Amino acid sequence: MSEINIKSILSILLSKITAFSAKHIVKGGSNFPGKIALKIDKSILKHVSNGYKVILVTGTNGKTTTTSMIYNILKENKLHVITNSTGANLYPGIVACFVSNYSFFKKKENPYAVIEVDEANVKFITEHITPEIITVTNLFRDQLDRYGEVYTTLVKILEGVTKVPESKLVLNGDESLLGKLDIKNPVVYYGFNTPIKEDTTLEINADAKFCKFCKAPYSYNLVTYNHLGDFYCPECGYKRSELAYAVNKIFDLTPENSSVLINDTEVFISQSGAYNIYNALCAFAISKELGIEDSVIKASLQNQSSSFGRQEQISIDNKDVQIILVKNPAGYNQALDTLALNTSEFSAVFMLNDNYADGRDVSWIWDVDFEKISSLKIEDIFVSGIRMYDMAVRLKVAGLNVDKFILKEDYEELTDKIKESASKKIYILATYTAMINYRKYLHSKGYIKKIW
Amino acid sequence: MELTICHLYPDLLNVYGDVGNVLILKHRAALRGIDVDIINTSIGENIDKDNVDIIFFGGGQDYEQSIVSNDLNEIKKDALTSYIEDGKVMLAICGGYQLLGKYYTAPNGEKIDGLGILNLYTEGGDTRFIGNTEIFNEEFNETYVGFENHSGRTYINDHTPLGKCIHGYGNNGEDGYEGCIYKNTFGSYFHGSFLSKNPEFADRLLTLALKNKYGEDVKLENLNDNFELKAKNSIIQRLK
Repeated sequence: MSEINIKSILSILLSKITAFSAKHIVKGGSNFPGKIALKIDKSILKHVSNGYKVILVTGTNGKTTTTSMIYNILKENKLHVITNSTGANLYPGIVACFVSNYSFFKKKENPYAVIEVDEANVKFITEHITPEIITVTNLFRDQLDRYGEVYTTLVKILEGVTKVPESKLVLNGDESLLGKLDIKNPVVYYGFNTPIKEDTTLEINADAKFCKFCKAPYSYNLVTYNHLGDFYCPECGYKRSELAYAVNKIFDLTPENSSVLINDTEVFISQSGAYNIYNALCAFAISKELGIEDSVIKASLQNQSSSFGRQEQISIDNKDVQIILVKNPAGYNQALDTLALNTSEFSAVFMLNDNYADGRDVSWIWDVDFEKISSLKIEDIFVSGIRMYDMAVRLKVAGLNVDKFILKEDYEELTDKIKESASKKIYILATYTAMINYRKYLHSKGYIKKIW
Repeated sequence: MELTICHLYPDLLNVYGDVGNVLILKHRAALRGIDVDIINTSIGENIDKDNVDIIFFGGGQDYEQSIVSNDLNEIKKDALTSYIEDGKVMLAICGGYQLLGKYYTAPNGEKIDGLGILNLYTEGGDTRFIGNTEIFNEEFNETYVGFENHSGRTYINDHTPLGKCIHGYGNNGEDGYEGCIYKNTFGSYFHGSFLSKNPEFADRLLTLALKNKYGEDVKLENLNDNFELKAKNSIIQRLK
């Protein structure tokens, strides 16, 4: 135990007691213990994270899954690793994660921490920690009532990055906002060398379509989804940086999984969707940078199970239910693409909440291309959540069959209706607090074993 | 019957789901057997004002709006001025609304030129006005709800406001009014999309456009607006 003062000890102890109480009295509190610790000792994070090699994961979409993938790979590699897997990605939640893993007496050898961090909170973490690696997955517009625009989000992340010029950045090269950054850090890029769709034009409401240096529209050699791809500016010549890690071939893309070639390694990804290929690619790149063998990475990605609420599969009586978290247009469109891969009939639940964590403005559902699922054979169309009428209007205007709509705000009634559905496969697309609350309900009824 | 809707800069001014207004107008027209043609008009393209019946002008991020400002004044100003002065129908939301005025000041202090067609201007504010909002239009005897999210303070001088704020900040948080009406041009800060919970207003725009085009009063048949009105009502209840 080196140089630890009374204040830090007290801070850690009280925080641990709070965490214990929170876990056993009120289920699932993940920020409060951190708040307590910070109240007593403002620089507690520096102390409790001492000795850890930290990997910070930020960006709009894919943080939780990418974090979990990296965590699993490191574990597969027999390293001691901790993570904030409950989605507590704000400053106090991250403090709480380190505190709960802190021991006054025994220190682990060569410990790693894979930490998911909210974009606006990076700067609080890098104030106290110099990460080995910081990764930014992508930047989509997301909850504009909280952070404003994608450009503002980028500025917030960079504010944190500039505090730690030694940290290596592993960045999505297909994200035009992340190229040629004005920073001192060493940078490694990953991306796609093969398209997901043939078309090289962007969807009309994709984000960041204009050159960040000269404002001319970008051209694309290939587009993966939204504004991600091999871009270049025909006016000023700004283009995608050279990729150190690239998806060179997509062998297969199914509603359950995909298999791809990353550099020259064949990788099977046990989660579906183009966005999960990006997540796996990011995890692959980081693991390689940490010197981990291909075989370990492959084995781990192949067995990766979903994080809570991220394509999680559960059973409600005889129904196969898959919960997909949707929080912004880019992610929602990807989720709908996954639904569209289905060849057999299914039903879908659309849950829309407008609590702070969901974004209080639900306007963004109009930027989601629900029109593309209007021709699918969806057996029952369940609509739920605080803003279910807004969602019903959106789906109606998109051309979904109103006769199939079942609107139920009450979870019990909704669940009963789901049980009565003629289809075996049910997708639940839910915003953050809708997902959390419905999972809590399912947990209370015994359909889910673990709440977090 | 048919209508042509021109969507201005759908590739640049595309945040906050304002595109929903165009989708809703089309949907509601189609249910009445009216064909709708949507034309996307962006950078470098002029507006074929005589062959357009409704213009939709949404809002964007500051970066994109500065690109739009130049293009508007260089290419589209004349067409838009006579379109508005001729009493043709336009709905402008948030950034689009601001750009119809003389200027607006971005949060970074940069003054961005508007079209100056409407006698209004927008100053930057320190705080953002964010939240669900309810307004009442006395002349139409209608209540509208929407979600406002803006740091700009808009002052509309002698123009008629779209409504009186019942809840929320409105144009500038001072005078208690939201939006602006000039001839058949309507400006508002409401996202939501605006028309998603205000079907009466959507039909008002369609009716005005049909009257302009066909020269007669058109009575649109009623639609089942159950979801729309319940969505509106749930906001009104929550604001109480």
